[in-house]
Amino acid sequence: MGGFFHTLGALFRRQDVPAPGDGVPDAETERLRALYRERCSRFRLLLSANKSALEIMADMEEALRGVRPFGMTYVRGACTRACASVFQIVRHLNALSDDRWPELETKFDEIRAGIEAVVAPHVRAGGGPLVLPIAETGVDLADQAGGKMANLGEIRRRLGITVPDGFVVTASGYQRFMEAGGLQEEIDRRVQAADATRLDEVFALSASIQQLILAAPVPDDLAGAITAQVERLAGPPHDARTGPHPGINACSGAEVRFAVRSSAVGEDSLDASFAGQYRSELNVPPEDVLDTFKDIVASKYGVTAMTYRLARGIPDEDVPMCVGCLVMVDAVAGGVAYSRNPLDLRDNTVVINAVPGLPKAVVDGSFSPDVFVVSREVPMAVAQRQIAAKPQRFVRDPIEGVRLEDMPPDLVDAPCIDDARALEIAALAAGFEVFYGEPQDIEWAVCPEGVLTILQSRPLREARHDELPEGECAPVAGDDGTDAAETDAAGSALSGGDVAAGPTESGPLPGGYNCGESGPPVLLLGGTPVSPGAGAGLAHVVRKDMDLLSFPDGGVLVIERALPRWAPLLSRASAVVAEAGGAAGHLASVAREYGVPALFGLPRAAELLEHAGIVTVDADNRRVHPGRIEDILGHAPRRNLMEGSPVHTALAEAARLVLPLNLLDPESPRFAPAHCRTLHDITRFCHEKSVEVLFGAPDPTSPAGPGAQRLGKQLRVNGTKLQYWLLDIDGGFRKPVPGPVVDLADIASAPMLALWDGMTAVPWAGPPATDARGFLSVMLESTVNPDLEPTAATTLANRNFLMISRDYCNLQARFGYHFCTVEAMAADNPHENYVTFQFKGGAASADRRALRARFVGEVLEARGFRADVKDDALFASLEGLPKERILTLVRGVGYLLIHTRQIDMVAHNERVFGPIRDRIAADMAKIAPVAG
Amino acid sequence: MKILIVDDETEFLDLMHKRLERRGMEVDTADNGTDAVARVEQGAYDAVVLDVKMPGMDGLETLRRIKALRPEVPVVLLTGHASLGAALTGMELGAFDYMLKPVAINELIFKLGEAVRHA
Repeated sequence: MGGFFHTLGALFRRQDVPAPGDGVPDAETERLRALYRERCSRFRLLLSANKSALEIMADMEEALRGVRPFGMTYVRGACTRACASVFQIVRHLNALSDDRWPELETKFDEIRAGIEAVVAPHVRAGGGPLVLPIAETGVDLADQAGGKMANLGEIRRRLGITVPDGFVVTASGYQRFMEAGGLQEEIDRRVQAADATRLDEVFALSASIQQLILAAPVPDDLAGAITAQVERLAGPPHDARTGPHPGINACSGAEVRFAVRSSAVGEDSLDASFAGQYRSELNVPPEDVLDTFKDIVASKYGVTAMTYRLARGIPDEDVPMCVGCLVMVDAVAGGVAYSRNPLDLRDNTVVINAVPGLPKAVVDGSFSPDVFVVSREVPMAVAQRQIAAKPQRFVRDPIEGVRLEDMPPDLVDAPCIDDARALEIAALAAGFEVFYGEPQDIEWAVCPEGVLTILQSRPLREARHDELPEGECAPVAGDDGTDAAETDAAGSALSGGDVAAGPTESGPLPGGYNCGESGPPVLLLGGTPVSPGAGAGLAHVVRKDMDLLSFPDGGVLVIERALPRWAPLLSRASAVVAEAGGAAGHLASVAREYGVPALFGLPRAAELLEHAGIVTVDADNRRVHPGRIEDILGHAPRRNLMEGSPVHTALAEAARLVLPLNLLDPESPRFAPAHCRTLHDITRFCHEKSVEVLFGAPDPTSPAGPGAQRLGKQLRVNGTKLQYWLLDIDGGFRKPVPGPVVDLADIASAPMLALWDGMTAVPWAGPPATDARGFLSVMLESTVNPDLEPTAATTLANRNFLMISRDYCNLQARFGYHFCTVEAMAADNPHENYVTFQFKGGAASADRRALRARFVGEVLEARGFRADVKDDALFASLEGLPKERILTLVRGVGYLLIHTRQIDMVAHNERVFGPIRDRIAADMAKIAPVAG
Repeated sequence: MKILIVDDETEFLDLMHKRLERRGMEVDTADNGTDAVARVEQGAYDAVVLDVKMPGMDGLETLRRIKALRPEVPVVLLTGHASLGAALTGMELGAFDYMLKPVAINELIFKLGEAVRHA
């Protein structure tokens, strides 16, 4: 045993020194007592750090399962917290034991270094040119120019296709801007300090960071490089004679303006679309390019982009925001072309969405476009035309950049491109697919001179196939416009469909699909499925940003227009219904990417679903039903968007050094610092040893001589000695206890007595009668968990420990694998008071253990505890209540401690579990009633 | 319990000030390291809550000076940066504990209670 206890013991055994509590202590005794209290206090701190460490580990474990999104700030934060807690644990144990395990520090440093290597931000090599002309870019420069601009350069260079002239502010240029004046550092600090899972915090954070970026000066060298490029394209400022630069593009018109758009690295090449998250500014005058550059950079921290990166596990630092500045094309028509049908890549068609004026209306989902479906069979032919009513178009405007303009009445219903143009676009799209080796999503524009210009090309994302409908229902009439569309009275698969006049009783409606003779009631029918599948939830109409904040988890998003600004809700929505918008819009892309079923083009949907409550959206069959209809929903699990992402991978790698527990058996010779491979191992080792050091220390007051007794006193109740050992910090015993045993009657600690009261208030009925499956589950666990081995010897490892003072009690009990901890402070000042209850594990399989943890958590929450349940771990706490209420709640916790043992074995079986639950509720109502 | 909170973000200071006072604590604030050291020299604080990242004298330097003046006053470090190095350096310099922003007020109060009981 450590030197401290040895000295303490030796001193107390001296005949001339009175034992604690006998008469007046001398100064030396008083000093030693103070030291002893210091040790007890350290032990408490160790337990507290132990609790934090386990809490963080449980949280990391949950995060790894990918059920909620998290960013690199989470990974770094969790690792830092875990390391800081374990550092504290090691420090406290070594202080308690007079440095008995110095090698723990070496082990800790090794593990910590490993974790640090995983989570350290990787430094991107700078040093490239700050700007690059489009003509000089190509896919080999995607890391510098960003995917979008690199692709444009490639198309021009390799295929000789017309693209706008322009330049790109490279990743090096971006880095130069972000590093000047510590901008990036300040942004990272703000991101770390916010709770990214709360949308209201993300809004505030996003606004503050964007302001910061907009206020930051562009460093001189970068500003100079950008201005030089702008002058190359537009001529020197205030010099009208020079006119436009004879660029690659012939459509720039008399006065050169720019389209300034994001070209973030990885934007199009990752398995992630980033659709519509970043800003694009159209028709920017040369003198505004520098400010607009900052606008685009700031949009990296827009709400949509931040929530998207979070949901997809993409670290902020992996997305350098390159910015492309292209000479503006004065489009008479434009749109998007898919080299394949995005709803079914096997379908042999090219799908073109076209609008008059600038193509903006297609991508932002403002209007329903004309749709041309071109068969890829040679010779290509227009297989279908769906001409939408287009009352307005976007045009360039010298003041506003772009504005909406009414269409001449005779052109509202006219096709905005002819078949020849559609075939030209289709041929190009098919050619791009061959060139890139995968289906492409192309943005195009036609300038007044009739030249077809390509604005961007990127890989086409396909909707999930596993949710495409099977069986007797008609196939989805997506963009394909095949047989289904012909039978659809709505007649325009991509531009909206029929809507039922209101809630109807049942059955198919005119203009819809007939899926069977008597289906469930239908609220809405028609529209275009832009992302397949079915989902159910509370219908929530979102019209303004405020509505975003009240959106319920798992709700059905109902919107008037399919704008990209609603994308932050998609990671929480179970389905989307929009009155207007097409499959080519950004929101539709993101819905497909997230696997959220979406049905667009249902006029009056917002009005009709406003108070509809829970609805089921069946995108495949173009219906919205009242209520939740399990038959339609199927059982496809939601895609785990985090899995395989860089952030998830980083967490998984760090977790290998944090979570696995290799030190299982305290009796084994391998239970030693040398065998600690993770932070969990160190935590487990230190906890075990701290208890041993403190409770196993020789009792200096024992009359039986040195080493005969231990400091921990065994609890005796009604003459029977129990497996509970007590350590008195201060005033926990009514009188000095010289022997190895303490009677319950001699305990003065109010919270300990309350706890004991609760533990013994109702006799335990024994383990619940289990079925064979429950028994097997326990047997299986026992084979891997030696702590449950019934024949294990009664050693220190089987004991329960209590540390008490007059107002304080800390129980470390062994119920299963981990210690279960109850800590309570019940003093006269309510501000000091608290109760915490923590357990993890159990004997049954993981899902049943989780059920039990949730059940206990609910019982405690009803009594005002904050209960955090992570898998099978429960962390419950409450504070600031008057002493009497605290003691009542401690009684309740004592009861739960005993009576929820082993109920995990039957937690899945409602027949057995129901009565147990009722009994526990009834007992708790008597022992610790819910506050009135 | 008398607490000094040191942070250059005045919004954060005001918020913490209000919240801690509501829980029955006496709270002083300082928005820079120099001011914080001066206050610790004069006042008797039960604990100090200190932001690691501040312009001018940074948190770790402030911690060093506070510890030189009043080694017995426990200091809880706060930071918006999850920096392992800073966390461990801070604790080696004698910080009682290290917390990441955003701070759960209950957790902070619990930590302060622990720090004071242990001191």
